Parts: sequence; structure tokens; C-alpha cells
Amino acid sequence: MIRAFASGMWIHVVQFSRNPFDLTGIVVWPILYATIAYYLLDSKDNPKLLLGASLGAAVMLMWSLVVIGSSNALENQRWLGTLELLVAAPVPFASVIAPITVASGVVGGYALVATLAWGTLLFGVPLSIAHPLPFVAAVPSCVLAIGMLGLVMASTFVLYRAAFSLGIALQYPVWIATGLLVPLSTLPAFVGHIGWCLGPYWGFQAIKQATLGSAGGAWKDIGMCFAVSAAYAVIGSVCLHFFERVARARGSLKLT
Amino acid sequence: MAAIEVQDLCRTYRSRKGVVRRRRTDVEALKGISFAVERGELFGLLGPNGAGKTTTIKILTTLLLPSSGSARVLGLDPATEPGQIRRRIGHVFGGDRGLYDRLSALDNLRYFADLYRVPVREKRARIAELVDLVGLAGKERQRVETFSRGQRQRLHIARGLLHDPEILFLDEPTIGLDPVGAREVRETIGGLREQGKTILLTTHYMYEADELCQRIAVIADGRFVGEGTPAELKDRVLDRTVIEIETFGTDERTLGRLRAVDGVASVGTETRDQAEVILIQSRVGAGIVQALLRELEGSTVGKVVTREPTLEDAYVELVQTA
Repeated sequence: MIRAFASGMWIHVVQFSRNPFDLTGIVVWPILYATIAYYLLDSKDNPKLLLGASLGAAVMLMWSLVVIGSSNALENQRWLGTLELLVAAPVPFASVIAPITVASGVVGGYALVATLAWGTLLFGVPLSIAHPLPFVAAVPSCVLAIGMLGLVMASTFVLYRAAFSLGIALQYPVWIATGLLVPLSTLPAFVGHIGWCLGPYWGFQAIKQATLGSAGGAWKDIGMCFAVSAAYAVIGSVCLHFFERVARARGSLKLT
Repeated sequence: MAAIEVQDLCRTYRSRKGVVRRRRTDVEALKGISFAVERGELFGLLGPNGAGKTTTIKILTTLLLPSSGSARVLGLDPATEPGQIRRRIGHVFGGDRGLYDRLSALDNLRYFADLYRVPVREKRARIAELVDLVGLAGKERQRVETFSRGQRQRLHIARGLLHDPEILFLDEPTIGLDPVGAREVRETIGGLREQGKTILLTTHYMYEADELCQRIAVIADGRFVGEGTPAELKDRVLDRTVIEIETFGTDERTLGRLRAVDGVASVGTETRDQAEVILIQSRVGAGIVQALLRELEGSTVGKVVTREPTLEDAYVELVQTA
């Protein structure tokens, strides 16, 4: 199962890297998100707020790349005719699909770092990380948390043909519910409660704490990232098993 | 115990149409088929497009659940024990899809070897052996997007054999291939048969089934309409003569009149170049050519040929009378 996972990740990263359109996207998007973060708040005099906005924009991009990347990758499996072969493989279906979402998460991790770097290079956003060690741990934790939420959503992509459209639609609710787009304090309380259930929220909090807050707070949020990721891994596996059965009953695995 | 046992297998596809008033449409793809395939046998499922061949294979390879009836693959139920079956079977679908185009043939095989749990120590040797078997040695490092259809199909076969499956399911493996490519794929399949591999092959090419299969079941409209060895199926039409009449623009009413002629067993048509050829099967010595030509008065008639029936005629007869 570990071999299938590792091999799957490698294959999907290579497949992604050989598409010039995707490659152009991951070069251009971080510049755009860094620009939006800088001009939207127009807070050149408040470096802390500027850095917070850059972090939010970076995690927003990371989530977008995971949800769009994995939905696009799954839709591609249908077009390539490989989805049936993946379903028919004698390993748990989750270990075939999880590499797709985690591979997208790895690309998202790069985008996070690139967005922060472009913000610093182009607009002078001060990249002063208060607690480097928790920051180094927070980034992969955020990748994992986002990848595992992607896994839960990917289970529905297996069932529907329009996975890519569904992926695009799922970007915005998560941006809002996790406080990436606007502070949760400006939204009704229930939105914040939804955010607590979402991995990207804890990933963002961990990165924010490591950069601007306390080390203790960062480690606590990293712990929450792992707890939420573990829960998603279980939910994702159960959903995939269930949806695979539904797809076999409906005969919808081959539909393109 | 047979390698594959199928009993009264049915499958209905359900679809819904309309936005406000949802209408349900049911399509019966399989209407109760039964058959068994012995170990080491190459069994052919022969039928026209939409007959139910692929549906049968998908149920047996655990990709589809049956609506009713039962199936056993190596003694296991594909509906409830898919994991155990998947380890022991291989399947190859026809067409040029099912591969990662931007990766090399070698990368594709390595990935599927990991998915199909080929031991790490054996992986490299196994891939080299299969690349050689399907005639892709020297091309394995090329990207799949540069491959011809025939090469892709042979790569599919190599993929299906990676974990040395006990049963190999081949769904129209030569579809869309040029004659040379198709012959190469048939030679590969023939080699596997010689090795004693159990194979279930679907095809709509009569000559392919005749060349490769030890037993054939003809399927039409979700039902079996004939089963036996190629020789047994040919025997069904030995008492027949086939009359081919070349015409231009024959309508369904004329064909109906031909069917009504005394001694006619079946009437079919096919297009050859610019002309339409009416194929009529009748009893040997029925002497009905003049009667048939009388019914075609007013139509433009070209060549008229009388010949002995072939296996293809047996197949056409079975499918048309289904």
C-alpha cells in the first residue's frame, strides 16, 4: 500500500510537470495572489497586517491548487480511461486516490512558499518569521491537512463526471469558512464553527501563529492539523469505498 | 471447478432525463446469460456492438454490479469479493485509452506493477520479459503519446499480464487496429493460449474468434443465441446456400418480399463499395434465384453469386434470428 502511494505520488507529479499549461499556471498564480494581497489591503504602513494578508493569500492559492488540481486530475483519469483501471487495482482505492490529492498538496506547498517569496521580492512584504522551527513543521502539516480534505472531496469526484466544475465551486466556501478571504470575526459565529472542522483552517492558523504569534500556539494548531487530517483520512477512505460501490452499481466509472 | 461460471446474469442500466419532470429510462443490457469457462480455455464472446459483451466482462472484472443472477470467478463472487478477484485476474480493454500518455511505456508499467503488487525484486525482470513478449523492446522509454494504436494495444496487454493473472479478460483487443497491428495482437494472444492461460475474449470479428477461440458464445441483444466450437457453429449452416445479389437502393418493403419467398431462411444486407449486397440464405438445392429476381423487378440488379456458407454466415444467421 505504501509502495502504491509513493509510486502514485511520483506518477502524478511527473504527469503534472509534463503539461506546459499547468506549469505556466504555477509560475503565474503566486505572482497574482501576492499582488492581490498587497493591493487589496493597501496597508504599506502596517507590515504585520501585510504579512498576515500574504499568508492568507498563499494558503488560499494552496487550497485552490489542491481542490482544482485533484478534481482536474480525476477528471483526466476518466478522459484517459485509467479510472476503471485504478478502481480495479487490488489495493485500497484510497491509496490510489490519496496520492493524487497529496501530489496536488505538494504543488500547493511550493505555491505557498512562492507567493510569500514574490510578495517579498516585488512588494517588500516583510517575511519575518517569528518561530522558524514551528513554521517549517506548519507548512507540511498544512499540505497534509489540505490534501486530506481534498481526499474527502475527491471521493465525490469519482462519482460525478463534472469533477472539475465541482472542484472550482468548492474553492470559495472553504476560503470563507477558514478565514482566508475575510477575518472570521466579521462573519456570523457559525461560520467560524464550520471552519474548526476544516483542515485548511488549522493549517492557516499554524502558519500564522509560527509567523506572527507564539510557538506554543503554533504547535497546538499543528497538533489539530494532524488530528483533523487523521479524521479526514478515515472519512475519505469510507466515502471512497462507498462511492466506488455506488459507481459500480450505476455503471458510471467509464462515463466521460 | 470452472475458472468462470455465470448463471442467469442480468444487468439493467438506469438513466434519468428531464429537469422538472424526471423520466426514468431502463436499458436491459444482459437478459439472463449463462456459461462456464474451463481453466486453460480460450473462450470467445462474439456479438455486434451493444450486444452485452463489455457489460459481461465488466461484471466479471468487478467493475460493475449485476442486477440479478450470479457469477463466480475462480470460485469467488465479483459483486461481494472484488479485492480477492482483482489480485488474480488481468483485463485489457480495446481502444487507445487507459494509459498515461505523457509518461513512457516503462513508467506506465512500473506504476501498474506497484498497483498490482508485483514484488519489488521481480518487477524489473517481469517488465523486461513482457516488453519483449509484446514486441516493444527498444521502445519502452518512449512516451506513450508517440505510440501507434497497435503499440498501445500491445502495451495494454503487457500491463494486463504484469502480475501473472490466472485469468485474462480481453475486451475487443484489436478494435481500430490496422490489419498488420491486429495480426500482431492476435499472435500475442495465440502465444498466451499456448502457455495455457485462461482467456475470455470478446470480439465482433468472426475470423478472430475462429482463429483464436476453442469455444464461442454468440451474444445478441443481451441473450446467448448460440454456443459451441467454431466447427459446431459452422455445422449449423452446412445445409444452406448463400445467394449474394448486388443491387442499388433496395428498400425495406422489397427485403420483406424476399423474406416471404418460399425456401428463404434469412435475408441481410451489407454495403460493398458503391453497391448494396443482399445476402440470402436458403436450403441447398432450393433453386430460388429466379423467384428472388422476380421480386426485385424494378430495382437495378448487378452481379448474382451463389456460394457455400462461411462461419460469418453462421454468425449473421444467429444474430439476425435472435
